[in-house]
Amino acid sequence: MADPARAKVNRWLSGLARNSQRWITATVLAGALAGAATIAQMVLLAWLVHQGVIDKVPVSDLTPGFIALLGVLVLRAMGQGLQARFAARCSEQVRRDARRQLHQHWNAAGPVALADTSAASLAREWLDHVDALHGYFARFRPQMMLSVVIPLAILAVVFSLDWLAGIFLVLSAPLIPVFMALVGMGAEKLNQQHFEIVSRLSGQFLDKVRGLTTLQLFGQTGYASRTLEARSDQYRHITMKTLKVAFLSSAVLEFFASVAIAVLAIYIGFGLLGYIEFGPSDELTLFSGLLILLLAPEFFQPLRTLSQHYHDRAAALGAAAELLARLEQPVGETAASEAFDTAPEDALCLKGVSVRYGNGPALFEDLSLSIGSGQVVALTGPSGGGKSTLLHMLAGFIAPSQGSVMVFGEAPGQQPFGWLGQRGFWSQGTWADNLRLTTPEASDIAIETALRQVGLGELIDSRAEGIHSRIAEDGQGLSGGQARRLSLARIFLADYSLILLDEPTAGLDATSEVFILEALRKLSESGKTLVFSTHHQALLTLADRVLIVNNGEVRDA
Amino acid sequence: MPELRPWLKLIFQRKGRLTVGAGLLLGTLLSGIALLALSGWFLTKTALVGLLLAAGVAAYINLYVPGSGIRFFAVSRTVFRYLERVFNHNTVLQLLTDIRVAFFNRLAASPRTQRGARSGAQWLSRLTADVDALDTLYLRLIAPAALAGVVTLLLAGMAWILFDGTTAMMLLVLLSLALMTATWLVYRRTLVASGQVSDQQEQLRAELIEHLEGYAELTAAGRTGKQTALLMRRGLELSRLQAKIDTRAGWHQAISHFLINVAAVLALWLGFQLFSGGLVSGPVLVLLPIALLGLAEVYAMLPEAFSKLGATRAAAQRLNADSNPIHDDSVSQKPGFNVPAPIALSAREITAGYPGYSPLLSHFTLELNHGDTIGIVGVSGSGKSTLADTLAGLLPPVRGTVQSAGCAYLTQATVVFEDTVKANLLLANPSAEDRELWRVLELVELADRFSREADGLETWLGSSGNRLSGGEARRLVLARTLLSPAPVIILDEPFTGVDEATRQRISPHISHWLEGRTVVCLGHGPEALLASGHTLHLG
Repeated sequence: MADPARAKVNRWLSGLARNSQRWITATVLAGALAGAATIAQMVLLAWLVHQGVIDKVPVSDLTPGFIALLGVLVLRAMGQGLQARFAARCSEQVRRDARRQLHQHWNAAGPVALADTSAASLAREWLDHVDALHGYFARFRPQMMLSVVIPLAILAVVFSLDWLAGIFLVLSAPLIPVFMALVGMGAEKLNQQHFEIVSRLSGQFLDKVRGLTTLQLFGQTGYASRTLEARSDQYRHITMKTLKVAFLSSAVLEFFASVAIAVLAIYIGFGLLGYIEFGPSDELTLFSGLLILLLAPEFFQPLRTLSQHYHDRAAALGAAAELLARLEQPVGETAASEAFDTAPEDALCLKGVSVRYGNGPALFEDLSLSIGSGQVVALTGPSGGGKSTLLHMLAGFIAPSQGSVMVFGEAPGQQPFGWLGQRGFWSQGTWADNLRLTTPEASDIAIETALRQVGLGELIDSRAEGIHSRIAEDGQGLSGGQARRLSLARIFLADYSLILLDEPTAGLDATSEVFILEALRKLSESGKTLVFSTHHQALLTLADRVLIVNNGEVRDA
Repeated sequence: MPELRPWLKLIFQRKGRLTVGAGLLLGTLLSGIALLALSGWFLTKTALVGLLLAAGVAAYINLYVPGSGIRFFAVSRTVFRYLERVFNHNTVLQLLTDIRVAFFNRLAASPRTQRGARSGAQWLSRLTADVDALDTLYLRLIAPAALAGVVTLLLAGMAWILFDGTTAMMLLVLLSLALMTATWLVYRRTLVASGQVSDQQEQLRAELIEHLEGYAELTAAGRTGKQTALLMRRGLELSRLQAKIDTRAGWHQAISHFLINVAAVLALWLGFQLFSGGLVSGPVLVLLPIALLGLAEVYAMLPEAFSKLGATRAAAQRLNADSNPIHDDSVSQKPGFNVPAPIALSAREITAGYPGYSPLLSHFTLELNHGDTIGIVGVSGSGKSTLADTLAGLLPPVRGTVQSAGCAYLTQATVVFEDTVKANLLLANPSAEDRELWRVLELVELADRFSREADGLETWLGSSGNRLSGGEARRLVLARTLLSPAPVIILDEPFTGVDEATRQRISPHISHWLEGRTVVCLGHGPEALLASGHTLHLG
């Protein structure tokens, strides 16, 4: 990842963090409480040991100390539990914000631009990529602060007890930021390597699973399985070479932590024996010595936890980079087209409209057009001539670069209208659910009538529960033609004044074609304004007006 | 957990590796605990001796043994940790291979009908996630939990030897509680939720895809806002569920950690009693509580891992269902090869369809002699591909019999593997020579395309290599089928995505190449077929 790109990703992540700052702060505070309780716990433990072993205080006299210790332990557990609770809450908020941003982008991009990316990848971004942010906000970010705060607090305590021991600690962790960078570099490389290999192996595996039928047909599954194994082994050997080096960085952290404890133990031991004749060691007691020893592992613990959370960061950065690329995808300029007065008998008006994509040549130049209310208009012409662009503009899915479009005296898309794309769509759920997607208040009778209008009556009659049976009940779903008819049924049900259809009969089986032609005729008879693109002769006959769209020109046939 | 059994069996096949890995992990954990415990013992000892020395009493302390012990454990902890990470990472990658290969073999052995519609991108991505969940089963769950148990018992044993039986028993009770909290209890308390998470995720994914597919219609109807609100709410429900699991794992970890700390405090309290009775020396009194504090690190990874066990079980369940290794001969039966000459392919009174669904085709009879060619035309949905699957023996007929002299089948879906051109072609005839490969590539007009590549037949295809256009990919898999020496060739929509001009040029060559063989060619219209003796219309 290039540096400016990474900086951008970091900025975006920080922006998300700002909205949930409350919860991040709460997480850090809870973690700090646990840290403070840990220090208190070690102080009390060391004190109790000193009292009991050195000062020979009878155990019954130490009861208050023990009770205080238990209290501190409860506090520590509370801090730990609350930290987990707040962290989870924070990530909840972050994910909601990120998803809202995606929805806003989808909305701004519009259906046409959105169709460039497969629905499955957009869904993966919304679901999996956003979920990948979780660990970063819930664990890594708070831990980053805690791994500064807690070691500093411990250092302060140790310095107050014995400054030489404090210096040992500082020396063993030369500088916390340097340490963190060291951990980061190693962990990052390790993660990258690991993710890359695992995803490559997954790719190999999925490739074979995807083509399993073909492999079976040719009797080659055994060969494929051996290839899979050989490739995996090959990858493993390559990864292990780099991993051996990458793990060294975490070993370094481990080494410093271990050596610091050993050095402190030996220094304090010799100090207590009085063998050390310089520095503050003659003031050491079992209390201060033991406390320093008990605090030493706690000094390194936050850093070690941080390095464990490094994969959260790597995963989040990867996901965030992709999310950001999506969010930054340019959406069509929505320069508000100027409203203008239209004649009341006109349903659709275009005035001085130009369309161009990027710096390419203009698709339409200074186009003006009006379509009367209740008219049935067919757009025809060669493919690539601009039929779909014109329809998309009337639908408000794309905005013209210049000029304006008015639909019933308003900007396009202000009022609901009917749209039938080349692919009808249906969702899991019943027939009724599917029709209520666009018309929630429709009655059962209206739904059934609409389905019969498009020739789906027979199909629902064959189902036990009629319109309340699930569409995919037989596991087959709908054919392309049936799905398009279902979409048309929605349009019937909703009673829109304007209906736009993109090649409504292209690639359909004969039955579906007949029903769609019949349905469009009924719609036109009921006075709706219909605009469709088509090459189909029967549809052209149905139209009151045929417009030939070619090379940026629109003229009556 | 019966659904995990086959996978555990697979994992435990590598007993040697797992034992060594666990041994290294144990070494790491024990070195950490020993370093602290010994240091605590050493400090107390030196403090006591120091007091005596200060008071002018002659006292002796062996500095050499504890000193070198401390240094040894400091180094051994680092070394064990490093070795453990390298070794166990290698194990994980190895298990990953084992599990994938085993799963692939199971999948290959299970009848295709069982996979049914499970082949979409969604199914594949779910599959990856499920398989990944099993990879780390050993390293995240089994090994740490088992080792936590071992270390706990060792510490209890140490308490018995150094302190007394009562202390050991009380500590064992407390630590068992802590261990239960960190493992079984977390698992029980998150079981329902973590099962729900993966279900809800897939449900929500399906809803999102529907939303996006219907985006134009919904935008036109002005309904995207409502739908968005609905999706946001479902997304929030899902994150709440995930947050619930995380929170519960967090609290259980806190409680388990608390219990360990209480055990350390209890050891100190009981130790004081023994100390005042002169049964235990000061240094030993300090040693045990400090060792117990070190146990926290051993338990620390457990709650999070166990909060995912429910999801892992669900994943294993799905994988088992995907690849049920039941060998039902009536289902996986291949069409008989002993058809009497001159018949090459015969289908008698067959009813074709997927089990459980209404048949798409019934009373279909077809008999082809060697050298016959036939075209079958039908619109989509007429059962064309189902018939092709049945004739090819992929799908057993619901009724009737299919017999063939052995066939090669070009399915409607174009399958190009991420591999070389050569490997892709050789699938159909592993013994074919390069000359023959170039010959079939020439037939479909791809020979020029690959002879221009530096690697020729070794050109890598697929996502990371050379991308083929849809038409090129179709022609490549067509060439693969043509390479097969099978007497019967079944081609389902051979020219999908191939442009008109190319199709017209290559079609006669292919017909010529297949002369003398039995060819069944299916398509949505006569123009999509090879020239054939006669044509059947379906539907």
